[in-house]
Amino acid sequence: MPPDMRPLAHAQQSFRRGVLQARLQVPAAVAGLPGPSRERRFSVYRNNVKASLVAALKAKFTVIERLVGEEFFEATALVFVERHPPRSPVLAEYGGGFASFLEVFEPAADLPYLPDVARLEWARHRAFHAADATPVAIDRLATLAADDLHDTRLTLHPATAVAASPWPIVSIWTTNTFDAETRRIGPDHAGEIALITRPQDDVLVNVLPPGSDLLIAALREGRALGTAIGQAPASLDLARTLALLFRAGAVVGLLKGISE
Amino acid sequence: MSNRTTAAALAAAVAAATLMSAGANAQTANADKERCYGISMAGKNDCAATGNNSCAGQSKADYDAKAWKYVAKGSCGTMEVTLKDGMKRKGTLAPM
Repeated sequence: MPPDMRPLAHAQQSFRRGVLQARLQVPAAVAGLPGPSRERRFSVYRNNVKASLVAALKAKFTVIERLVGEEFFEATALVFVERHPPRSPVLAEYGGGFASFLEVFEPAADLPYLPDVARLEWARHRAFHAADATPVAIDRLATLAADDLHDTRLTLHPATAVAASPWPIVSIWTTNTFDAETRRIGPDHAGEIALITRPQDDVLVNVLPPGSDLLIAALREGRALGTAIGQAPASLDLARTLALLFRAGAVVGLLKGISE
Repeated sequence: MSNRTTAAALAAAVAAATLMSAGANAQTANADKERCYGISMAGKNDCAATGNNSCAGQSKADYDAKAWKYVAKGSCGTMEVTLKDGMKRKGTLAPM
């Protein structure tokens, strides 16, 4: 950096700090400006930045907001904004760390399923903005010979995501998204694996069979079907998993591969 | 599992999966809908062509010309809204 850039970079950094930190401290670059009530004017700026970031989180985590209530959500989001300010100028990319933050956010500790529900919401948001691709139908797979199937690799749609949880996250998400009055989901409800896809314009959420997350993780790593099955438990309902993957538009290509 | 048994199990699973999927190809949830611009109330849009919001429910203005909503196919041009200044406008299939 040329030497004459340093004062500007310095001023920008102190301005950024001043905007985002919890306690109001007017940065030197602003404190030196003429005019009345610099503190109040700078507070307006700070407030706008934070409020817009909180609003962005609200828009992405609507179920979390419904679960904890508006007041709690706003307070939580504000702490997140202060601790994890944006690293990218793209607002749509902000909030990826929110689920992990909820894991360590003490006041939310009573709701242990919250972070996984937030992961599901984030996956939906990501899926919405992912690249478009055209899904293939399962008939294509059915035309392959048994021996070729073993070595076939599946190319997943860029929007495809899996969120596995010991909590019934899809049931929680569904009732809080579609029902005016939420259904009770008992504590004995089994955990769920969410499959998030976007075959066309709409993001879809489905529940995958137990163990299928391991199969899909192996497929994502580029393992052939025959090898990927070995990564999943023997009890996996393979037929139902494959049917769901294709029906939800998670697969966009079949690569007949070299033997592993 | 040996490769041969895996291959057989796979083939059986694919056959079963294909049966389950008969008639249900990759989901086309919105095949019977179209994007209609300029008719959604603030906060009620499905998405927008450009601008201030990162989608669903984030438009800030009523009847934003760049925000769209899914409506039944063929019905977009028949939707009429009254703007703040009293002007009437119909929905369009492209951002205004």
